[in-house]
Formats: sequence, structure tokens, C-alpha cells
Amino acid sequence: MTGYDGISFDDRMETVEFRVAERAHIVVDSDVCRSCTTKACVTACPANLFAPTSDGGILFNYEQCFECGTCYQVCNAEGALTWTYPDGGHGVVFRHG
Amino acid sequence: MAEPRLVAVLARCSDLRVEVDALTGAVSRDARTVAFSSSDAAAIEHGLQLASAWGARTLVLTAGGPECDGPLRDVAALGAEVRRVATHGSYVEELAADERALARAMVSAMGERPDLVLCADRSADRGTGALPAFVAHELGVVQAPGLVSLERDGNELIAERRLDFGRRERMRVPLPAVCSVEAAGTRLRRASLPASLAAARFEVPVAEVAVPGPAVRVLGSRAARPRPRHLPAPTGSSRERLLALTGALLSHEPPTVIGPVDASGAADALLEFLARNGYLSEARTGYAAS
Amino acid sequence: MTDVIVVGAGPAGSAAALLAARDGLDVVLLERGPFPGSKNAYGGVVYGRVLDEVLPNWWDEVPVQRWVTRRSTMVLTEGRALTVDFRSTDWGKAPYNGCTTFRADFDSWLAGKAVEAGAQLVTSTVATGLVVEGDRVVGVRTDRSDGDLRAPLVIAADGVKSFLAKEAVLLPRTQAKHLTLGVKEVLSLPREVIDERFGVRGNEGVDVEILGCTRGIPGGGFVYTNRDSISVGVVVSVEHLAAAKVRAEDLVADLKAHPAVAPWVEGADLKEYTAHLIPEGGYDHLPPLSTPGMLVTGDAAGLCLAAGIWLEGVNFAIGSGLEAGRHARRIIETRDEKPYRAALEETFVLQDHKRLRGAPGVVLSERVQQQYPGLIADLVQGLFTVTNPTAKPGVVKLLRAAAKNNGVKLRHLMTDGLRGGKVFR
Repeated sequence: MTGYDGISFDDRMETVEFRVAERAHIVVDSDVCRSCTTKACVTACPANLFAPTSDGGILFNYEQCFECGTCYQVCNAEGALTWTYPDGGHGVVFRHG
Repeated sequence: MAEPRLVAVLARCSDLRVEVDALTGAVSRDARTVAFSSSDAAAIEHGLQLASAWGARTLVLTAGGPECDGPLRDVAALGAEVRRVATHGSYVEELAADERALARAMVSAMGERPDLVLCADRSADRGTGALPAFVAHELGVVQAPGLVSLERDGNELIAERRLDFGRRERMRVPLPAVCSVEAAGTRLRRASLPASLAAARFEVPVAEVAVPGPAVRVLGSRAARPRPRHLPAPTGSSRERLLALTGALLSHEPPTVIGPVDASGAADALLEFLARNGYLSEARTGYAAS
Repeated sequence: MTDVIVVGAGPAGSAAALLAARDGLDVVLLERGPFPGSKNAYGGVVYGRVLDEVLPNWWDEVPVQRWVTRRSTMVLTEGRALTVDFRSTDWGKAPYNGCTTFRADFDSWLAGKAVEAGAQLVTSTVATGLVVEGDRVVGVRTDRSDGDLRAPLVIAADGVKSFLAKEAVLLPRTQAKHLTLGVKEVLSLPREVIDERFGVRGNEGVDVEILGCTRGIPGGGFVYTNRDSISVGVVVSVEHLAAAKVRAEDLVADLKAHPAVAPWVEGADLKEYTAHLIPEGGYDHLPPLSTPGMLVTGDAAGLCLAAGIWLEGVNFAIGSGLEAGRHARRIIETRDEKPYRAALEETFVLQDHKRLRGAPGVVLSERVQQQYPGLIADLVQGLFTVTNPTAKPGVVKLLRAAAKNNGVKLRHLMTDGLRGGKVFR
């Protein structure tokens, strides 16, 4: 998918280094998400990691996470998101932040 | 043979996210992103596991500058002995460096003869991959490259490596040996907090080894600029060249104009054309005509 | 024996560790990234004068990209832009004013100063929780094995999400209302091209703050020059961004496509894309800054000044960190955290916040965000459009028309003017 400024989202994320940890630092309880009407995380996540599934749930990929915390701030369902920091030394590494 | 006493790991430490300027080709490296690649980290982890199974020492050696001290300190916090083999020189020099000389330097920096040498199967900066072979040659021991798992079997090793078409090869490797490993999901453990705190001020020992300069020296490097191709100047006037290009005023067969004719007339004309040019035999023509 | 545990080697943590270590305390500085600054992103400018006292001639060694000698404030509407532009050569020489730098460079540099002073930096280590005895914080838990670390004082400099402050119930779990999301693209361009496009030379740089480029979502945009790249981004209210169902990178794309910005970024390659939250609640929404055994500094304490024409954060982080470090010994000895808050009240850290406490409300208000950019652009376009043979319209007439056109009542202008005057007095 190409964004309208000519760079695809994948290429955009390619510019960032992620040291992917074995453990997923964010866990989404898709059962809770099914009852969510807003699903604000889907558009608000700057890394576009939340994908709605056909059965109304949410699929989450933790690998390319900026660890910004926007998702749990906009999440209105108690217990849908378990947010922790990735294990020390892992996760996003900004060099021009 | 006797219980192995020393497992040496030759781990390469380099910037894992080198930036290359697309226009100038200039390479910029950053000391902060200097780390062991995943296969180097796996080699260290295998080394720690095997050494603890044998009750042997682990010695992790890295060739490089002071930028490697951080990652080495982390390894020291895991209980391994560490040593840095000081190398001087630019990136270009390093790439073309004589790996045999480096192997010699590493072996001499070990201080004593190791029972097992572990390395990564390939370096992150696309080195030649010849170092393990040179080390094995230097020590006069066997070599097993491309391993994905290493198990202790008494005082020997059972190693496994991937082959083509999803096959695996299990090998018994006698010690002493040089083994190079792929990451294959093996991750380096993390040090405990007290050990990390203790290692934070640890001074990494540096082995100054007189490495003879590389046999092949780079005299200079520049961007590829192929020589322009020589084309002879065109001959003749522009009018003549134009005529030659377009084919105007040259004699040629005029197009045949048939028609307007009806459908059967057109078919006859086509058949006659094909027959005339030898595409149809007389018999076929006769059949078509009937 | 550890005296002080500082969690987070950002500007606040490193400043705290620096002064505490200089005071002879045994300081452990924990950082969850592989190196300080690796988890941080910001909107571009560090104002370093806060370091004058503790690191004399800091400007000679700070890893600067460019010194900001030109500052523009821009109001955008579709196809139109009004810029107020100021430049001063004073800002291009010592003691300077602000500089652009990357956080990976700046934070590593400042943490290095703390280490030089004797603090012990441990990277790749997450502080996962607090060790509490009674009502007192007595240490932190980390994600390393055997990972509990105890000390009489913990300084939480663990950033905007501060799970430590949350655990101590100083911060609520969520507060989308008072947070903004910043996304930034670093675009590489040759140095000479930047010099030419932005009208600067040598190590001079430009800082452009932009209003009206966020599709009405409360926030703003920015463009900063680095040595051989430029930073372009937007900062928007998390709450409103979510409600508008707009993707943040599309707002950046909008900004880059605007005719006032497009010529700057033309032909540039994306070097890195970053995102980070910013606490913008202001003075009225600051959490308690301490709990027995723990001080909270920097972003964790919400000490980030987003007051319209002033957008500062790193200096407030450093300022609060310095006070935490300066008073650490006394706080350990007396087991009384009050001197920290008192010291902050004495310095710019809380004074600026207090004085500009109403600013977030004004700057992020609906009229400022959605209607005034259009009104201003209409007014200025009316002023400078030559309508011959018709004579020039009067300013009052233009203002009335512009107000009407943008749905602003004149009494709104009056009240907002008064309110703004009061906030920014």
C-alpha cells in the first residue's frame, strides 16, 4: 500500500530499527475488542499495528512498535490491552529521534 | 581425551546498521549501534552452555576498537572471560585485510590452546567467512561450519547442520575443533543485575598483537566511471543520411492493390498468394477451389 | 551501597544523576534502551542555558546539529500561509539560545557527563516496578534476574508513560486528554541545499512552528533544520486524533504537500520515522512530584511546556532533574521530599508552568485551532489583494468579513483576546 506522499508504509517502517524481543510486550485480548465500537487503536497507532479481523476482533503485531503508548491511552475497554515495556535492550532504537 | 578446559569464542562486533550514502557511497558507522550479530551472540551462548557443562572456562575474543568494549562488558557480566584484540585501520583496510593474519593474531591472543573454538557462520558486514578455516588451519584441528545445534556428548560434540531440501546432518565432532554456528533461534542470555552493575566499570583487557599488514593492500577506491565509448563522426551530408535512414527515393516493390472484391474473391486472392509463395501445395489449392 | 537509583537516562535522569554523583552519592542510572536516547524522540530544539551552571561552556561540546538563529511561526490554511519570521545573529554565538540535535546524540552525551561524575549507567535494563515498604519506596524491581535494587531514594525519570509514577498512584493509568502524539520524519538533504532553501549558512539553523496544518485536530506542526537533514512532523491531541480516525502520518504528508512547505522538502529521502507521546497538561494537571522515597522528574512529572509560541521540554526535564539531584543528599538524610518541590517553585521549571497555566487551554481551543487560521489568512489576503478599480476596503470591514466567513463572532475575538492577554501576560 502506497501512502499518498509516495512512500509505502512498509518503506516508512523500514527506516526504523527494531530489535525484536522474543516476548510480546503488548497483549491484546481480542474477546474484549469484539465488544468495542470505536476501535480507536486501529487508526491512532502511528505504526499501524492493530488490524481489525473479520470476526470483529483485533490482531496485534508487536514487532514494529514505537512503544509510544498511544494505543492504551485511547483504548476505552478495561483489560483489552496489557502494555509493558519490551525486555531491556529490545524494541525500537531511534537514532534521529 | 581429557575434559575440555577452554572454550574460545571468536565473536565479531560491528555496527549492525551501517549507513551508506546513496549518492557518494560514503559509509558512516556509529559506535552506539555496535553489537554482536545474532549468530555471534548464538556462538557466545553455545560457548557458555558447553563450558558450564564441561566445567571449562569461556573466553570471548573480539577484534576491534574500543567501540567493542560495551558489548564485551555485557559478556563479561555473564561470567565469561573477555579479551579485545586491538586492530587499527579503516573500514576499507579491514575488508581487504588478510584474514589469515587475523586468525594468527586471534590464536596467539588466546594465550593457551583451546579445546573448542566457536565462531559465527557469517559476519553482519559480509566478511569473507574464511576466518574459521584459517583458525582451524592455524591450530591444526578439524572444522565444522554452518551448525544449528551443538550438544555435548561426553568429551565430544554432537552437531547438527542444515542441508538443502530441508534435510539435516548430524555429526560427531571430535575435539579440539573449530565450529561455526548459525543463530537458528539461539539467543544470548541476559546478565543478572548485580553482575551487570559489577561489569559496568570493568576494564576490558586488550591484547596488542603485532598483526602483519594485509598482503593485499587497497591503494584507493573511487566510484565506477566507465570510459565513454568512441563513435566515429557520421559521414555524408545530413540530407543523404536522412534519405538512408528513411529509405525514401530507393526502389522497392510497390504494394499490391487488390479490390475492392467480394468475400470469395478475397479468399481466392489469398489462396493464390499463398500458393505462389509456396505455402500451399497444388493439391490443397485444388481442394480449396472445389 | 546504592544511595540513589535514577530510572531513565534521558535529560532529566542524567541531570539528576550528574548532580547526585558530584555530591558524592553512589548513583545507579538505569536505562531500558541499548543506549541513552534510543527510545526518545522530540520536536527538535534543546535550549541549553539551563546547563550554564553545571556544565560551563556546554556549547563547545554538545552534539549540535545546527544553532537556531531563525525562528518562524507560521499559520497555514489550504493554499495559504502567513509567517512571522525572526532572526538574530546573537543566537548564533555563545552562549547561544537553542540548538537542533538528535536525542540519541544529546541524551548519550548528557548521560556520559553523569558517568564521568561517577554515576553507574546500566543500559538494556527495564525498571518494572517499585519495591515498597509501608508507604515508602525503597527500591525498584528490574527485568534482569536477581533484579531488585534498593536505595533510600528513587528518582523516577522514566518518561511520559512513567509506570513507576503510575504504580505509586501519582499518575492516572490513562490521561489521553492531556497527552499529544508527536510524529516526525527526518528527511535527508545535502547541506548546501538546506542552506539555500532556508537562507542560512554554516551551523545556523531554522525552527518553524506551524498552526493550522492538522485538519482541525488540536495540535500543530514543525519543521527544523539539522546538519544534513530536516525534521518535519506534527503534534496532535491523542484524544482528538483517535476521535477523528485520522492517521498521523497522513497529517505529515498533508504538511509536506502544502505549497509553503513542499519546496523545502522536495527531493528529500526519508531517513527515519519516529513517534512519541508528549505530556501537555500544563501546571493544572501536574501530578504530585514526590512520594516518600521517590521524586518524579521530567516528562514523568508532566514537566513539558507547550504554550503556543513556547514549545520546550528538554530544558524543563534537565531543570527538574538538576533540582532532584541537587537535593538528593538532603532528602535522604531528612527523609523529607518537600525541598524538591520547593526548589522547583523557585526556578523557571514551575514558575514558567504556573505563569502559563492557561496556555494549553487557549492554544488547543477549537477557535484557535479551527477558525483563527482561516480568519487570519482571509484578513491578510484581503489587505494585500489589490482590487482596482475598486478602492481598498477598510481593515474593520475586512475583519468583519473574515470573522463572518470563518464563523467567528466579534465578541469571541474580544474574549479570546482578553483570555490570551491574561494567559501570556
